[in-house]
Amino acid sequence: MYDIKQLEDEWKRYRKKKLKPWYIGTGIVVVLTLFIIFFQTNLKINFNTLKTYFKTSKEIIPSDKNEKSEDTVVLNKMKVKETVLLDDALEELEVKDHMIELADKLVKESDNILVDIPILDDTNEHPVDEEIVARKKIHLEIIDSTSVSGYKDVEKRFFESHDIDDALFLAKSYYKNGNYKKAEYWALEANKLDDNKEESLLIFVKSKVKLGHKNEALSILMSYVKQSDSQEAKKLLYQIENNKL
Amino acid sequence: MKSRYEVAKNVFIDSIDIDDYIDLDSSVTAYQQLQHSMNKPLKMILLFGRPGTGKSILLNRIQEKLKHQKEIHYFDTPAINEKEFFHKLFKVLTKKDLPSNTEVNFAALVDFCKKLRGKREIIILLDEAQMYGTEMMEKIRLLSDSRAVKFVVSLHKTDDEDLIAKEHFQSRIWEVIELKNATKEDQTAYIHKKLLKKNLFEIANSIKEKNMQRIHRYTKGNYRECNKLLFTIFEICEYYDKNEPSKVNYAKISDRIIEMAALKLGYIHV
Repeated sequence: MYDIKQLEDEWKRYRKKKLKPWYIGTGIVVVLTLFIIFFQTNLKINFNTLKTYFKTSKEIIPSDKNEKSEDTVVLNKMKVKETVLLDDALEELEVKDHMIELADKLVKESDNILVDIPILDDTNEHPVDEEIVARKKIHLEIIDSTSVSGYKDVEKRFFESHDIDDALFLAKSYYKNGNYKKAEYWALEANKLDDNKEESLLIFVKSKVKLGHKNEALSILMSYVKQSDSQEAKKLLYQIENNKL
Repeated sequence: MKSRYEVAKNVFIDSIDIDDYIDLDSSVTAYQQLQHSMNKPLKMILLFGRPGTGKSILLNRIQEKLKHQKEIHYFDTPAINEKEFFHKLFKVLTKKDLPSNTEVNFAALVDFCKKLRGKREIIILLDEAQMYGTEMMEKIRLLSDSRAVKFVVSLHKTDDEDLIAKEHFQSRIWEVIELKNATKEDQTAYIHKKLLKKNLFEIANSIKEKNMQRIHRYTKGNYRECNKLLFTIFEICEYYDKNEPSKVNYAKISDRIIEMAALKLGYIHV
């Protein structure tokens, strides 16, 4: 009998050689499968990114269209000037905030004198501070809002909070932007909330003049001058009468 | 104790034993064709095919079957030289031994054959005829022309042998019988019949259809190669049976053993 061990070794080598193409083939198939899976996954990611991109675009485009449909000319101007406008408004509103703060403090102080309960001083002071902080937060939100939709947000917020600052802000912004009808509307809204607010009345009158209702504007302003003897109001009256507005 | 595979192995020893002749569809056809041709008034019949296609066993078989009916002689191995061949032929024709220190006169032998015409019909089966030289084949042709002696010439089928056939027998051979390698079905029947002839039923059953396909692929249906492969397969089985029985599956011959045998015989290579 020949050496069976040698034959067995030879057979093992033969088997290895025979199976080699299968191993290589299987390897290639596995690599290709992995490559296809990897490629498809990548495609999905890109596709999703594109989807997200198109969705965002779609969301932006209709809002622009809506704005344009409402008042295309005004919004075009607003887009250009919005940053400047917001900064100006912020300055004025911040001034108002200081005034409100001072007024509130005076009111509180007078309350403290009347009630004469020192403990309540502390308890009353904190909510005021919180209120101020809250108001400041609102202003910050306006500053951050660099798009046209920022005005929409302020309007929406006004209908929920009925904050006179928001109404005044909108009245001034629209007036400066040349949208006198809206300026008139928001000045009136501000005046409804506080008819002693001279600023709202002045914007209202100026908007009336710009809209061509000069007589009506003069009538309102003159009755206010008589009532308040305000220097600002007199100055405006002079400007309107001499067509210098 | 004697391994069952030892008996199986011996079944496939490559020998021309007429008792081991297996009747297959293809071999029966070849046999009948040859017998039919021999009854025709032909001078020469060419039996050709690749080595191991069963030419020799067919000649043996026909000689064995017809020896009592016809004057038929089988020349298995070619004579070393012309002298020896004519000594052999002289004995067949004259039924006498040639006296020592004498030589056959070919012209006298042809004349003798011519005289036998119509009286006797002698059939000479020449195996491995490709080994005869050109001159010798020419003399055989002249003898066949006497019509008293008919030659059945068995040749290997190669390009050279085809040339021999063309050059020496083209004008005289009236019948050509070609033997081909076995089909898978014939080879399967051949292996099974061989084993069953020795009552090795279980071993025959252990060679499954797939094993048969593999064996046929390696041997290309050649009977001699088939015998060699089966012999080696059972030799390996015998070794395992005696030394490492755990490596033998008695119910089925494993591909591994067939491949080992094929490696041993050079059908496949590392």
